[in-house]
Amino acid sequence: MYERSGTDIAVVQKTFLNTSVDESLGAKLQALPAVAKATPMILNMMDLTPEINALIYGWKADSYELDSLTLKSGRRFVDGQPEVMLGDLLAGNLGKKAGDTLEIQGSAFLVTGIYHGGSALEAGAVIMPLGELQQIASLQGKVTAFHVRLRPAPTGELPEHYMERAQAQIEAALPGLRAVPAAQRASNNQLVVLAHAAAWGTSSIALLIGILGIANTMAMSVLERTREIGILRALGWKRWRVLLLIQLEAAVLGFAGGILGIVIGLGFLRSLALLPQTSSIASPSFSPLLLAEALGIAVLAGLAAGAIPAWRDARLLPVEALRHD
Amino acid sequence: MTDPLLEARDLRKSYDEGRIEALRGVDLSIAAGSFLAISGASGSGKSTLLQLLGGLDSPSSGQVLFQNAELGSSIDLDTYRSRHVGFIFQAFYLLPTLSAIENVQVPMLAVNDGANNRAQRAEGLLCEMGLENRMNQYPNELSAGERQRVAIARALANNPAVLLADEPTGNLDSANSARIMQILIGIQQQRGMTLVVVTHEEEIARSAPRHIRLRDGKIES
Repeated sequence: MYERSGTDIAVVQKTFLNTSVDESLGAKLQALPAVAKATPMILNMMDLTPEINALIYGWKADSYELDSLTLKSGRRFVDGQPEVMLGDLLAGNLGKKAGDTLEIQGSAFLVTGIYHGGSALEAGAVIMPLGELQQIASLQGKVTAFHVRLRPAPTGELPEHYMERAQAQIEAALPGLRAVPAAQRASNNQLVVLAHAAAWGTSSIALLIGILGIANTMAMSVLERTREIGILRALGWKRWRVLLLIQLEAAVLGFAGGILGIVIGLGFLRSLALLPQTSSIASPSFSPLLLAEALGIAVLAGLAAGAIPAWRDARLLPVEALRHD
Repeated sequence: MTDPLLEARDLRKSYDEGRIEALRGVDLSIAAGSFLAISGASGSGKSTLLQLLGGLDSPSSGQVLFQNAELGSSIDLDTYRSRHVGFIFQAFYLLPTLSAIENVQVPMLAVNDGANNRAQRAEGLLCEMGLENRMNQYPNELSAGERQRVAIARALANNPAVLLADEPTGNLDSANSARIMQILIGIQQQRGMTLVVVTHEEEIARSAPRHIRLRDGKIES
């Protein structure tokens, strides 16, 4: 989102991430030589209905960030008016279109337009005039951050060096605030970090359960087929060939499990996207790279899980394996 | 006197850290193209001897020599099993998920035969066993006698010098037993193969030109 709108730096509170930055500092920021544009913004979360909550952004109507949005219908909001724009995912969930009204905190807002959001966070959000949001949230004169677009770097100056210089310039002019490069801000955002951590946590647990499942299946499968392995060894199959056979089977099992997992996962995600409670954060689409990664992990898990029983059985003397019941 | 094809020298095999002695010093020479029957009571060590002669197991001490090369040192056991010996077991040991013709091809995979060659030879061997109409049947669709004939075809897959049969008629009725022995003796005579049959049936043992009897892990006679 930062990248698409052309934001280079976010200016936020040094210690806490809250909406307590003085809006009047915007003029001071705008006057700095490196700053091309500085726009104030508020980020909050609100319950729109008992089931649906959404991210809510407060922007100025002349914010350069609005230029990055693609309007699907209607128009932009006007400052000072009780108006909002809705992301297409949220509009679908709320059943709203341009021209409808939406009640927020007991006040009626006109839905002026529906925009297309690139990510689930954008597509599931509300954008409204900064002043209106300050009023309903009792945050008059306060903002969460200033988003800054820098002037082009002077010829001969490295972009990284220019960025560092601009950060230092901003922080010197606005004591108590922090100038964070947009890319770093996106990755360090508490919500994003938390969401990533939760996603990785659950993915790791799911992966572990998957590997244990495949390991158990492979162990049982190889154990049940110990005599067959003994027959192959008795007929002159070398250890590596038996190992290869078992590992191929493990890879096929992992691949099939991966496909099944993807189908189930996709179905589950689609269900989440249909539920009002989760629809604003669940996007029912996968990138091909993610699918390839998931399949790769499943195959590797299969190979890892098959390795121990395969090695154990391939090492048995044929006569030992043939005696196995 | 010509060199023996297969030879056991002071062959010993013990289990359970030496507490159980299955073989207690067996010396045996088997000439190329001969038919030897090994008999003995249950637990006499006859199957253990066959397993050691076939490279399915390693002796605790002593040597097994094939064409004067010691198994496990001068000749690799996998190579020996895949190229020089064919096994026939009492329990057939066919792979249940493969058809008869596929089972016959399994040993050929160990010597990296081409697919066309494999299929052709497997078909020929099954026809030789009178199973031309049963090639695509799975083991559970075959009678016991048919299964053992598939197992014999499989044992012949890589045209080995030695056929080792461990109680090949143990799971068969008398009619099928007679047919299997007829086939095995026919193969030994026509192909000049060396045939070693372990049996507890005296009648089968007596049908062999050479017969040894084991008792308590030693050759009795």
